[in-house]
Amino acid sequence: MNALNRRTASRLVVGGLALTLLAACAGTGSVDTDEAPAAGTTADANEVESLTFWSNHPGGSKEVEEELIAAYEAEHGIEVNLVSAGADYEEVAQRLNAALAGGDLPDVVIVSDVTWFNFALTDALAPMDELWETVGVDSEGYVDSLREDYAFDDAHYALPYSRSTPLFYYNKDMWEAAGLPDRGPETWDEFAEWGADLQEANPDVAPLVAPDGSAYLDWLFQGMIWTFGGAYSDEWEPTFTTDGSIAAGEFLQDQVETGNLAISNDPNNQFGAGQAASLLASTGSLGGLTETTEFEFGTAFLPGPQPGVTTGGAGLGIPAGIDRARQEAAMEFIAFFTNTENTVTFTQATGYMPVQKAALETEETLAFLEENPNARTALEQLELTSPQDYARVFVPGGGARIGAALDRITTGGEDVETVFTELDEETRTVVERDIEPQL
Amino acid sequence: MLIVILVVALPLYWILAAALKERPDIYTVPVTWLPDPVTAENFSTVRTGVDFLDYLRNSIIITVMLTAVQVVLGVLSAYALAFLRFPGRGVVLMFIIAALMVPSQITMISNYALVSSLGWRNSFTGIIVPLAGVAFGTFLMRNHFLSLPSEVLEAAEMDAAGPIRTLVRVVLPMSWPTLIAFTLITVVNEWNQYLWPLLIADDSSVAPLPVGLTQLQDAEGLTNWGPVMAGTVLTMVPILVVFLLLQRHMIKGLTAGAVKG
Repeated sequence: MNALNRRTASRLVVGGLALTLLAACAGTGSVDTDEAPAAGTTADANEVESLTFWSNHPGGSKEVEEELIAAYEAEHGIEVNLVSAGADYEEVAQRLNAALAGGDLPDVVIVSDVTWFNFALTDALAPMDELWETVGVDSEGYVDSLREDYAFDDAHYALPYSRSTPLFYYNKDMWEAAGLPDRGPETWDEFAEWGADLQEANPDVAPLVAPDGSAYLDWLFQGMIWTFGGAYSDEWEPTFTTDGSIAAGEFLQDQVETGNLAISNDPNNQFGAGQAASLLASTGSLGGLTETTEFEFGTAFLPGPQPGVTTGGAGLGIPAGIDRARQEAAMEFIAFFTNTENTVTFTQATGYMPVQKAALETEETLAFLEENPNARTALEQLELTSPQDYARVFVPGGGARIGAALDRITTGGEDVETVFTELDEETRTVVERDIEPQL
Repeated sequence: MLIVILVVALPLYWILAAALKERPDIYTVPVTWLPDPVTAENFSTVRTGVDFLDYLRNSIIITVMLTAVQVVLGVLSAYALAFLRFPGRGVVLMFIIAALMVPSQITMISNYALVSSLGWRNSFTGIIVPLAGVAFGTFLMRNHFLSLPSEVLEAAEMDAAGPIRTLVRVVLPMSWPTLIAFTLITVVNEWNQYLWPLLIADDSSVAPLPVGLTQLQDAEGLTNWGPVMAGTVLTMVPILVVFLLLQRHMIKGLTAGAVKG
């Protein structure tokens, strides 16, 4: 009896253990999901009853997204499931990577300036041009520079949505206390001069605050590096070690060391609480700052000489792995979500830029700009923007890699030339390994 | 000792203080250590800003289920590996140790593929089953079981107690401190699960608190840290309660002797 008990018990235990080990380490093979007709087959978008939209609700936009979705559902009779797919663009990309391996793809997904290209390169995003024709999307209605940010190999892989440029925000009271004119600095050299005045007039307050390398300093510094005649790359060729790039890095480090620039993990709140005289941040921060600050602030172009500013933010893409009918329905949804009326609604709720040319001229927009002159800056700055360097947006992990290097020279105080040389070599290795074989 | 207390207590105090402050007071320089005025507004913002009660319910379901599964399977597996003779015992143990060496992130994509193909996405099953592996618990409990005095086990065998009876009546009563430590570690681990539930859950019907509370943050805009801190406090409280309850039993277990001289 005892032996039987023991044998039975051991079988139970080993069986249970095997199950849990399987649960802990599931097989590594890819799984065939029951796919509907492959992309490219003819299908009727009217057959689609529901869509799934993955977003991180940029700029605190969940409410406005829900509002636009409700309008779409009422007009088209298609239910849209809004999924909070991550806390930021990178988490959404991480989740999409998992879905690409395991099926259950969304129909519409938010893709940022640094994530869309790798999905396009690996054929994970559907080229949109043919879908535009089928669905009747007026692609020419979108702001050209914003639309062309998603072009690769004669095709477009997303449409602009939560698009931004970096802005220079400044506290007018602190500016006045330092005897500075009511405008942003025209060049970085001018800012360096103003920094001393700001420190003197506003003790214990940073003249300028910017995010650290984990929170898009790499995006903001890109404009600065251009003003010094440098760049992250010339197409696929890294250029971190050119004289201009090194000079920009040394200037950034010098501004931190002299106390003109503070690197913060929450610069928006630091500025909003009056703990910094100025701020480098996205236009996407404008809505929140306008709502919460208790002082008057202005916005200005990023310091020049121009070009010293780039576009950023995110667009909406469609996975290539969903069937044609769903792709067409998804395209209709994106077209609605980013149409003139809705981009105006979204812009006014968040501070992001309107993505339609016509939106810039609507009565609603003009009235809004009249009331909110700070919002005008981003639109006027748009014509000065340049496309981002490949090393940041197209090279896998580029933004994070550059951000980590910038942390080393700002908060870490390491030698700029040494850090940038390592960064140059790392980037070159990734390009040769991951990009060149696919081009 | 004072430094250790400060290092541990100061961040916790700061979280609580910030949760009770009005928005502008959180950012004042110099720092205000006492909230003045004290406000509960941040806590109500958490309730209205996200589906807090849904996320709380989901966290409780996920944690209770996973803890129960892991403790039961961990104890049974450990007992088998410590006291029962069966073919391949060494191989099973080797697999368990190997599983301990594999970071969970490595298996995430393949787990996702499996869960997705089984139709378990956005379900408790999809979140719980892949996290139910018990390599750590099995290893911990087995090592503890091997340290128990052999006389007690021999006495149980002489009394014709079967394996299950020996486990329940003899081994477990002598193992409370380790078992409670294992339970506590499991509870804390599962309560704080983030990445896997983020990948699997689509909405507040199954997502746990750590995933839900990220909606209070704003990556590109302006995060209001008051509600974030209030959410953090509300997330910590259940775990602190569990810890305080179990800690007492853990100490009791440590002082209870099994063999009399």
